[in-house]
Amino acid sequence: MKISLNWLKDHVKLDLPLPRLLDRLTMIGLIAESWEDKDGDTVLDLETYANRPDTLGHLGVAREVAAALGLPLEEGRWPVVESSEDTAASAAIQIQDEDLCPRYCGILVKGLKVGPSPDWLRRRVEAMGLNSVNNLVDVTNYVLYETAHPIHAFDWAKIGGRTIVIRRAKKGESLKTLEGREVALGPDQLVIADEIRPVALAGVIGGEDSAVSETTRDVFIESAYFDPVSVRRTAKTLGIQTDASYRFERGADIGFPPKAALRAASLLTQLGGQATRGVLDVYPHPRKNRIVMLRHQRTQDFLGVVIEAGEVERILTALGFSCEPQGAGLWKVEVPSFRIDVEREADVIEEIARFYGYDRIPSVATPLKVGEPVVNRRRERIDKIRRLLFHYGFDEVLNQSFADPEKEARFGTGREPVVLRNPISTRASILRTTLAGSLLETVSYNLNREFTGVHIFEIGNVYFRLNEQPVEQLTLGLAGLGPLGYRNWNSLWEEPDFFDLKGTFEALMAQLRLVPFDFTAGSCPWLEPEQSLDLRYKEEKVGSLGCLKKDLALTHGLLGSVWMAEIDLTGLLAKTPPVFQTVPVGRFPSVVRDISFLADRSLPYQDLRKAVEKLGLAALESFDLADRYDGEGVPPDKVSLSLRFVFRHPQRTLLADEVDKMEQKLLLHLQSAFRIEPRTGGSIDNRARKN
Amino acid sequence: MEPLVQRIDILRRTFDEACRGIADIKVLQDLRNKFLSRKRGYLAQLLEELKSLPVSERPEAGGRINVLKDYIQSRLDEAERTLAATTTASPRIDLSLPGRTRLWGAPHPLMLVTQEIEAIFLSMGFAIEEGPEIETDYYNFEALNFPPHHPARDDWDTLYTTDNLLLRTHTSPVQIRVMERRKPPIRIICPGRVFRHETPDATHLPMFYQVEGLVVDEGITFANLKGTLEYFLKTFFGEKVKIRFRPSFFPFTEPSAEVDIECLVCGGGDAQCRVCGGTGWKEILGAGMVDPQVFKNVNIDPERYAGWAFGLGVERVAMISHQLPEIKSFYENDLRFIRQFMIK
Ligand SMILES: [Zn+2]
Repeated sequence: MKISLNWLKDHVKLDLPLPRLLDRLTMIGLIAESWEDKDGDTVLDLETYANRPDTLGHLGVAREVAAALGLPLEEGRWPVVESSEDTAASAAIQIQDEDLCPRYCGILVKGLKVGPSPDWLRRRVEAMGLNSVNNLVDVTNYVLYETAHPIHAFDWAKIGGRTIVIRRAKKGESLKTLEGREVALGPDQLVIADEIRPVALAGVIGGEDSAVSETTRDVFIESAYFDPVSVRRTAKTLGIQTDASYRFERGADIGFPPKAALRAASLLTQLGGQATRGVLDVYPHPRKNRIVMLRHQRTQDFLGVVIEAGEVERILTALGFSCEPQGAGLWKVEVPSFRIDVEREADVIEEIARFYGYDRIPSVATPLKVGEPVVNRRRERIDKIRRLLFHYGFDEVLNQSFADPEKEARFGTGREPVVLRNPISTRASILRTTLAGSLLETVSYNLNREFTGVHIFEIGNVYFRLNEQPVEQLTLGLAGLGPLGYRNWNSLWEEPDFFDLKGTFEALMAQLRLVPFDFTAGSCPWLEPEQSLDLRYKEEKVGSLGCLKKDLALTHGLLGSVWMAEIDLTGLLAKTPPVFQTVPVGRFPSVVRDISFLADRSLPYQDLRKAVEKLGLAALESFDLADRYDGEGVPPDKVSLSLRFVFRHPQRTLLADEVDKMEQKLLLHLQSAFRIEPRTGGSIDNRARKN
Repeated sequence: MEPLVQRIDILRRTFDEACRGIADIKVLQDLRNKFLSRKRGYLAQLLEELKSLPVSERPEAGGRINVLKDYIQSRLDEAERTLAATTTASPRIDLSLPGRTRLWGAPHPLMLVTQEIEAIFLSMGFAIEEGPEIETDYYNFEALNFPPHHPARDDWDTLYTTDNLLLRTHTSPVQIRVMERRKPPIRIICPGRVFRHETPDATHLPMFYQVEGLVVDEGITFANLKGTLEYFLKTFFGEKVKIRFRPSFFPFTEPSAEVDIECLVCGGGDAQCRVCGGTGWKEILGAGMVDPQVFKNVNIDPERYAGWAFGLGVERVAMISHQLPEIKSFYENDLRFIRQFMIK
């Protein structure tokens, strides 16, 4: 809201430097976003709030300033030059739909000479950022910016009959607005009509046919109260927002229409017109001002400070409230009709706090009572995942949740996206169903900016519909391309491969204590089937990892293998891991044995692993693949594998022949399960290893 | 036999330690004497101890000692060969060459700032609560005292889905969900993504991160709101930062406040300052006492309980504290930017 300081001074005798004034305004909640000097005036751009339509005019702002500075408010005197003609004899008002228009006032001003505005009026209108049109139009704007109450002027000669009717529009009716737009009307819209047709959209905009012009001599001034919701709906539906609708939809002062009509009549008669006698005021069911009971103790309990009764009364009175003491510590507060925001005790307390000063309220720590423990395990585990990925060299990125449906389709996720009804652009009209798209864009963005290797992850939601219901799935997405780590003067160019990726997720599952987990054939539609796996926990798929399909890589301008993964964290974090426990450190020496053999190339290592596990040897502490060789001396359809077994007994030292027996058992078991050929030549190592 | 086996193992470890990084032939010679000398070497001593074992245990223990002896012998021979090779090839290593650095991934600045904020509130006993990003009108607006058709909704431009759900415009719906579920005392913060129908510019994006907080208990006052938020801001921005509470309006709080901190760039001394527009202040968060209507909507008695709430934009806080002019730098994910936060 633009506020002219000169105009403000009409209503309150301000005499303090601008910075001090701005500071006072700020501390009562009226903050100036900017200000400029204009024609010997200073015009502020005040931030106003949706619940305070009374501050959308100079008078309302002056009331706040006067209260803040302890100065009197001058509402001004509005003398009217009246003719002998009674308004009621020349015009009539008929409210048909009182629910949408509980009060309507009017007055006629006759014998006007439309022409340029006098300087003082032109300057005021221009200070509001408007162009001066003519004296008549400028006066209606003047009243709006002074009192915050919108009024409208009809050319009385263009009104059919002498009765102004306020009613819902009928189906099939239409109106050509001041903007020259023809709008179709219906019973959802309240109109002002003459005896024949609608002449204005109530509270929103006037009609062209009844508009004032250079030749207008007599005007009917409308000053009314319209239902805020009705005005808002009409303005929204028809896409017309005006200074008037902006104020009516926030709530006008139902006590003010006669005064605004008089104010307009006063100004117009100063410009040469003559007003008819008396304002027509149709107000079938006058509303009483709201009464709020205010407890002094409650003020203190709520604000945490004692404000003296005298100060409470002073503040409220200065703001136009009246307070009547009702015995000790209780007031009956009458709320003025322009304060539509004040309905309850809490609202009154806010007024007291505002003018007492937030800066005078002490700062006290919020007392803490012992409650339930507040740990958020889920977030702690997410943080564990992040730390692990940092350790593995991945940088964290964040992308917006929106996606381009065309680009998203390339990934063929098969997920039904959540579509936005009013997107900001068609390229951001759905919510992402995978993190892959934005991760790949991030990879190529950085490759275009001096990076040769990019390894990143994001943790965030993907969105899709399942049985029509929107689902938000917290997801870990990961992408890596090129060498990982810093190049050093003697380090090698090392590009991670599939097993780096797999190892990362093995470590991640171990870190979350979600073991045993499993890998099965890859099913992710955007990963190479031959170079990807699904990660499973307790049979349930929790994600996929592998190499991005070559065509998708090329679409993003990426050459080489892009290693990616997408893991459903919502699912994964819903699993309860076993409680962390330590295992006693072995006190007796372990025995390490290597078993080497030739196996079919097609035999998955996983099968060997499971076969060993199935045997369930109590003294087998751990085992691992120690070596894999398929070069010289190994038949082409075979591969040479060495498994390293670590045996240990918790209570005593294992004897050599015990270990021999277990080793034999293992070998026989593997031989019977798979076609393997033990390698001859001292594959068995009898070394004792440190414990 | 146990003690002997243990000593064998300890000896092996001692040797491994000693043998690491031998850079001098003299050191190597010393080691050879210490471990393998026929008279006073450690292994000779162990063999001596064998005699104290029962005859039946001697072969196995003896075997173990011999394995260790072979091991030490071969390691020392190998070390000698390497030493001989390097001393002839390069007489001295240039120790001023740069060390080898391991890459360590960098956290995203917004996550970092969110966690810094969370940590301060966690230390004051707040719990972290989360909720859905796709919300209903009820949780995002109505329960928070935005009546349908109220113009206040215009300040929260909303993105809707095709089935009339919406993308939450703030994390305040989480407050409602928690109050529906739990009775006071409540002391929570709610971090998360929020959405606005906003055309991107230097300081706005249609999606950003928020952290909101809520306290509900008996005897909570506006003074508590001030005290706790001041503590938070001083911890985050430094003890000396100037803080200002000024009246504002939010439908879900009454009274409402906006909180400014002094401009970290000019401290209010530059009328042309581009960061604060010459006002000397930067708006950092919104807050207020929970509106009694909000309490009624979740069946908490506003006569018995009071509460305060706050909300802040993480990007905004990060931009102010790191003096970044453009919000988009957080979502370009330029690793040259993100990696700077590795050391924060
Ligand atoms: Zn500044």
